[in-house]
Amino acid sequence: MWKLLAPALGLIVLIAVVIASDSPPAPAEFTYSENTSIITLDPQRISYTHDMRVSYCLFEGLLRWDNTTFVPQPAVASAWSVSGDGTEYVFHLRPEARWSNGDPVVAADFVFAWRRAMLPDTASDYTALFYVIEGAEAFFDWRIEQLEQFGGLPSAERTAEAAEALWVRTLERFDATVGLTAVDAHTLVVRLERPTAYFLDLVCFAIAHPVHPPTVERWASIDGATGRLLQRNDWTKPPLHIGNGPMVVTDWRFKREFRMERNAMYRDQSALGVESIAIVEIENPNTAVLAFQTGAVDWITNADRVGYLADMIEQQERGERVDTHAFPTFGTYFWGFNCTATLTGGRANPFADARVRRAFAMSTNKRDITEKVRRLGEPVAGSLIPPGSIPGYTPPTGLAFDPVGARALLAEAGWVDRDGDGALENEAGEPFPAVETLCSTGSYHEDIALTLGAMWEEHLGVRTRVVSKETKAYKDDLMRRDYMLSRGGWFGDYGDPLTFLALSRTGDGNNDRGFTNEAFDALLDRADAESDRAARFEILQHAERMIVEEECPILPLFQYVQFYLYDPNVLSGVSEHPRLVQYPYAMRINRGDGSGDRR
Amino acid sequence: MTRFLVVRLAQTPLIVLAVYTVTFLLAWQLPGSAVINDEGRQPPAAVLEAMEARYNLDSSWVFYWQYLSDATGVSAGRDLVAGRDRVGPVFDLGPSLRNEDWSVNEILGDSLPVSIVLGLAAIMIALVVGVGAGVIGAVKPNSLADTLSLGVALVGISLPSFVVGTALLIVFPVWLGVGRVGGWGRFGDIILPAVTLSLPFAAYIARLTRMGMIEALQSDYIRTARAKGLPERDVVLKHALKNAFLPVLSYLGPATAFAMTGSFVVEIVFKVPGVGQHFVAAVLNKDLFLIMGVVLVYSTMLVLFNLAVDVCYAWVDPRIESA
Repeated sequence: MWKLLAPALGLIVLIAVVIASDSPPAPAEFTYSENTSIITLDPQRISYTHDMRVSYCLFEGLLRWDNTTFVPQPAVASAWSVSGDGTEYVFHLRPEARWSNGDPVVAADFVFAWRRAMLPDTASDYTALFYVIEGAEAFFDWRIEQLEQFGGLPSAERTAEAAEALWVRTLERFDATVGLTAVDAHTLVVRLERPTAYFLDLVCFAIAHPVHPPTVERWASIDGATGRLLQRNDWTKPPLHIGNGPMVVTDWRFKREFRMERNAMYRDQSALGVESIAIVEIENPNTAVLAFQTGAVDWITNADRVGYLADMIEQQERGERVDTHAFPTFGTYFWGFNCTATLTGGRANPFADARVRRAFAMSTNKRDITEKVRRLGEPVAGSLIPPGSIPGYTPPTGLAFDPVGARALLAEAGWVDRDGDGALENEAGEPFPAVETLCSTGSYHEDIALTLGAMWEEHLGVRTRVVSKETKAYKDDLMRRDYMLSRGGWFGDYGDPLTFLALSRTGDGNNDRGFTNEAFDALLDRADAESDRAARFEILQHAERMIVEEECPILPLFQYVQFYLYDPNVLSGVSEHPRLVQYPYAMRINRGDGSGDRR
Repeated sequence: MTRFLVVRLAQTPLIVLAVYTVTFLLAWQLPGSAVINDEGRQPPAAVLEAMEARYNLDSSWVFYWQYLSDATGVSAGRDLVAGRDRVGPVFDLGPSLRNEDWSVNEILGDSLPVSIVLGLAAIMIALVVGVGAGVIGAVKPNSLADTLSLGVALVGISLPSFVVGTALLIVFPVWLGVGRVGGWGRFGDIILPAVTLSLPFAAYIARLTRMGMIEALQSDYIRTARAKGLPERDVVLKHALKNAFLPVLSYLGPATAFAMTGSFVVEIVFKVPGVGQHFVAAVLNKDLFLIMGVVLVYSTMLVLFNLAVDVCYAWVDPRIESA
C-alpha cells in the first residue's frame, strides 16, 4: 500500500510547492479584462486598440487628445506653433518631463522613436502615417533599396563592418533628408511634405509615442548577414521597461495579468484616477461575464462575443440592468468586392464591372441585417465614414435599397435571363457564375453571408455560396484576391476622411479589393494639395461618393458598435466618443466604502 | 533494468525527431502567413517579405534545420566553439510571431508548470474518486452504490468539460460565493478546473477498477486469504486491489500525459494560463515557432513520461521486469 501512497504524497507536496511559489500580487485598485493578450508594448510596433490603451498609460506623446472632444491638448509639449503655410510645426517640450528612471524626456527621444517608425527594419504597421513628414517616404524606400542591394552582395562582402557602415549612412541620410530636427533638448521641428490638416491627430496617436533610446538600443544590433537593424523586444518587460506616461508596468505574466502602477516620475500626478490597474485576459466571453458579475473585473472592454448580448441590451433598455453599454464607433463593417478583371483560374470576374457591384449593393437590405441578424442596435451604414464622426465633414447618403433598379443595372451590364430559366446569362449565353461570399469562421460573418446570399438570390436571380475559412486562410485568399466578395471592416485612426478613403487608393497595402481608379486617386491627390478645410472636405466627399454610390468596391453594412460591461456607479471616466480612445489611468473606481478595495 | 533504461533513453531523440519532422511538414502547409495581421493594417509588401526572410519563413529547408539546431542547443554549442557572443538561451525555441514581446521559452516557462500541476491534480482526484467508486462497485455489485457510481461515471464521460466547467463556475463562485472566476495563483483556484478535468479520467478509472476487482475477488488466492481468516478490509484493499490496480496503472501513463496536454477547454473556461491553449492558438495564428516549440517540449515530456510509467510498473509488479 505504501508503494502506492508514497508517490501520491510526493505529488501532493509538489503541487502545493508549485502553487505556493506562484502567488499573485495583491488585487489592483482597478481591474479590466481584454479578450486577447497584449501583443506588444513597443509603440512603433503597435497595431491593436487594446495595446494602444496600455500605451496611453505607459507613454505620453507630444500632445494628447481630450478623449471626449478630440481636441489635441498639450502633453510632453507645453506649446506648439505652425508656420503660415502649414508645413512646419515647432514643438516646445516641457523641461520637467521625465522618463520613469528619472532621465529627462528630450526632443531627440522623439526623433529616435519616429525614425524607428520610418525604418523598414522595425516593420511598423503604421509606417505610412509618417509619410506626411518631409522626406519620410523617400527615406523608407531608400533604406529598402539599400538593404536589397546589401542582400545581393557576395557573402564575403556582407560583413559586420559593411553592415555597420550602411547603418551609419542610413542615419546620415535620415538627418539630411527627413524633416525632423531636434533643435535643442526641448525644441522639436517637424517639416511636412504638404499642409496636413490632421497632423496634430497623428502626433497624439500611440504610434508617435517616444521610447527611451538607451533602453531600446541595448537590445538592438546590426545583422552582418542582411545589414538589417535587429531589435529584440526584451526591454518591454518589467523591470526593464522605461516609459514616460502616468503609469509604469510593474508585473507582466503571460496570459495571467498585466499590472501597472502610478509612475512617481510623471509630471502631472493629478491626472491619475487610480493607483494601480490590472489587465487580465479572459478569452471565453461567458467566463468574462461571470468574472464581472462576481466583481473580479470592473470593466469588460469587448463584450461583442457574448452569446446573449442582445438579451442584455434589451434588459438595459428596459431598465433592468445598468451595466451594458453600447457606443457607436469610428468604424464600419462592410463587404468588399474583388475588383480585379479575372478570378483565380483565369475565370472572368463579373464584379470587375462597377454596374454589377452597384446592382448587388442596391439589392442589399441592410436594415434586415442589423435588425434581424445582428439584433444589437448597430446603425445602418450608407457611407464608409460614420456620419458626424468628423466635425465639418458630411458623408454621402449611400445607395438606397432598390432591387428593381438593381436588375435594370444588371441588364445594362449584359446580365439578363435570356433562356427563361430564371438565371442570368450574358450575351454569349454564359450563366452568371455562382457568387462566392468569403468570410472567416467562428463569428457572425457566416450568418451575414447567408443572409446576403439569400437577398441576392431573391432579388437578382443569382446563385450564391458561402465560403467560410479559418482566419489565416481567409486572409490568405483575400491577399491573393482569390474571392468574389469578402467580409471586411475598418476603424479610422485620425479625424480625417482620408483615414477611411486611403484604403481604396491604387496599390495601398490595405486595398484588399484590388480597386484601382485613376479619377479616385486624382481626387485624393487633389485633396492632399488643398489647404482649405471646407474645399478639401468637398473633394473627399466626392471621392467617398465614388466608393459607396458609383464605383462601389465597398458595400458598407453597419457602423460598428463597441459593447462595454461596467457598472457606472463603480467605474467612471469611460469615454463614449466613437474614436474609442480610452485612458484607463484617468478612470476612477468607487466601491461605495471609499476604500477602492475589491471583494 | 539498467539496460532497459539505456535503450529506451537512446530511442527518445529519434522519436522526438520523428514527431518534430511530421509536425513541421504539416505546420508548413498551413495557409496564410504568420507575419500578416489578421485584422487591421498591413505594413508595405517589402517589409513583409523582409520579415519572412528574417525568420527563415521563406525557406522550409533552412527553417527546419535552423530551428532544430537552435532548439537542441547545437547553435549555442557552435557559438561557444567559435567564441561568438550569444544573446538568448542555450535551447532557443525562438520568438513567438503572434505575441511579439515574448519568446517561446518564456511562454512555455510560464505556462508549462501550470499545465503540469493542473494535470497532476486532476489525475490525483481521478484516482481517489475512480478507485474508490470502483472498489465499492466491485465489493457490492449491482447495489445502489454501484449503480450510483456507474451513473456518475457515465455523466463524467458524456458531458463536455465546457458544460461541467461553466456549471461549476455558476454554482460555486457566482451562487455560493466560494472561490473566484478567472483567477489563477491562489491555492483554491486549482480545485474547480482540476475537478472538471478529472471527471472523464475518474469515470474510466472507476470502470477499470471495478472490472479488475470483480475478477480478482473471485480468484483462488482471495479465497485462500479469506479462508485463513484475514479481515475483509485487508482482503479487499491489500490483496485484491493490488492486482486489480495494474490495468489502472498502465492507463495512468497516457492519462496523465493527456490531462497535462488536453486541458485546452478547461483552460479557456477557467482562464487557466496553461500550455493547452497555445496548442490551438499557435496553429490558428500559424505561429510556427510556438507550434514547433510546444510540440518539441511536449513530445519529449510524453516519451519520458511513458518511460517513467514503465519503470513504475516494474516497481509495483517485479514480474514485469523479468518478463
